[in-house]
Amino acid sequence: MKALVEVIRDPLRFGFGAVVIAVYVFLLLPIAIVVLASLNAGEYLTFPPQGISLRWYGSFFSSQPFMDAFKLSLQVAATSMVCAAALGTSAALYYVRFARGGKEALRFMVLAPLLLPEILTAIALLFFYYQIGLGTRTLVGLQIGHVLITLPFVFLSVCSALYNINPSLEEAARSLGAGSWTVFRRITLPLIKPGVITGAMFAFIISFDLFSISLLLKGIGTTTLPIQLFDYLRWDYDPTAAAVSTVSIVMTLCVVLITDRLVGLRAVRF
Amino acid sequence: MAAGALTTFGPAVPGDAARARALRLLLIAPVVVLIVVFLVLPYLNIVVMSIRVPSTRAPYAPGFTPDNYLRALTDSLYLGALARSLAIGAATAFFCLVLGYPVAYHLARTNARFKGLLFAAVLSPLLVGVVIRSYGWIIILANNGIINQTLRGLGWIDSPVRLMYNEFGVMLALVHVFLPFMILPLTGAIQSIDPNLEAAARSLGAPRWRVFTRIVLPLSMPGIQSGTILVFVLAVSAYVTPMLLGGGNVQTMATLVVQQLVDAFLWPVGAALALILSLAGACSVAIYARLTARTMRRLGP
Repeated sequence: MKALVEVIRDPLRFGFGAVVIAVYVFLLLPIAIVVLASLNAGEYLTFPPQGISLRWYGSFFSSQPFMDAFKLSLQVAATSMVCAAALGTSAALYYVRFARGGKEALRFMVLAPLLLPEILTAIALLFFYYQIGLGTRTLVGLQIGHVLITLPFVFLSVCSALYNINPSLEEAARSLGAGSWTVFRRITLPLIKPGVITGAMFAFIISFDLFSISLLLKGIGTTTLPIQLFDYLRWDYDPTAAAVSTVSIVMTLCVVLITDRLVGLRAVRF
Repeated sequence: MAAGALTTFGPAVPGDAARARALRLLLIAPVVVLIVVFLVLPYLNIVVMSIRVPSTRAPYAPGFTPDNYLRALTDSLYLGALARSLAIGAATAFFCLVLGYPVAYHLARTNARFKGLLFAAVLSPLLVGVVIRSYGWIIILANNGIINQTLRGLGWIDSPVRLMYNEFGVMLALVHVFLPFMILPLTGAIQSIDPNLEAAARSLGAPRWRVFTRIVLPLSMPGIQSGTILVFVLAVSAYVTPMLLGGGNVQTMATLVVQQLVDAFLWPVGAALALILSLAGACSVAIYARLTARTMRRLGP
């Protein structure tokens, strides 16, 4: 109570606090609204809602285009996660432990997909695939685009994990006669595991939500969930879209919580 | 330590040095190949594509021409879209800075037990796809969205207030989408300012606003610079939000480029437009970085 009086008496501090709270509300509001809208029983998005119902989830799960897109997104995101984790970890290992000349150039190169506008990369790949005859009939091109974009996240997270482990542990193992592969498998990998898992989690989430690359590189008749949602929203705002969104929000939340259980998200450091 | 790191994966037998080096290169080779083949070459290819002859029957016709650039730089439709893209980018960066600064300051200085939760609240929009976040704003701003329904329910309005399908809606959603990219670098910059400096200035009798303008603001300039550049670059090339909340009424360069590629199938024109947008964005950033660097030197500690 005393603190409250204090705050009100100091208008500057009061105003500051009000702005901070308002911005937090602003940040979370649209996401909360989407979740609430998906539970609305009415035909259209009405406010206040006309009761609670799961009918829009039913409409999502019985919609063939949305389910196909959902499955494809899961498949692409899982593949990106595995590829980015393998490539990003090996690149980080080389960068932190062995790179001598051109270290900055190497770092810039690996981070380039993150620094360049995604839409420009998508355009570049679209032209390139056409010219080398890869085209967009298969999902190979789309998948490569997703791996390119997600790679820097694993690289950054594994690099910071590598910088934080004590190299004398590896030296000790070596001096006791362990070969390179044994040192990596028994010492380095367990120590950088949190970094690898965190990076892989980011790769999965980023790939699942990736838009521009998927928009331009999707084949005919195949599409990922964000694109399907985008096409749907251009004509129709019914709460099926909200149910689809909520399912992907909950899925992201699950991925984050699983990662937190595995490694503790305090390990997130880029 | 450097020597230790060198021997970590080094040869067990001295004669194996060459083999060990080859093995190390195998670690990086796949990534280098991937980036060179699927990033460097495609980007060089855009430049070539932008001077090809457009064709309606194939992605391009034989021969080369500067026409794509000439047309883009003389047509008021394209120039208007370019100006709009840059203006939207700059305005988004500005509003993100104004809204993000108080939150970043609070986040950097608070000792609250739920600080982790506040960080999660700032980060959480990043983990939700941009389509979903834009959709949230559609629900709120649409003609029969939450705001208009509430106002009509209260009897304040008869016909809906137009809150989207215009620049206002696009800007609002863009600020929301990119705000975390402003708050994170700002928080980092403010965290690295010694709180004792503020305490010292306060104890010497400086009023709060003065402590802010003379100490906190100048010392957080690096964070302001990187945050505004990041948001500007992202907002200039944003496609989803202008498309969904602009509904075709807000033509930016990014929406025009995709339209040229997907609907009109004029790849060389799209390539030229995309390059013009990137160059204009890069020039703006370079000029801005120059100007802010000068301000930083002037305000510097």
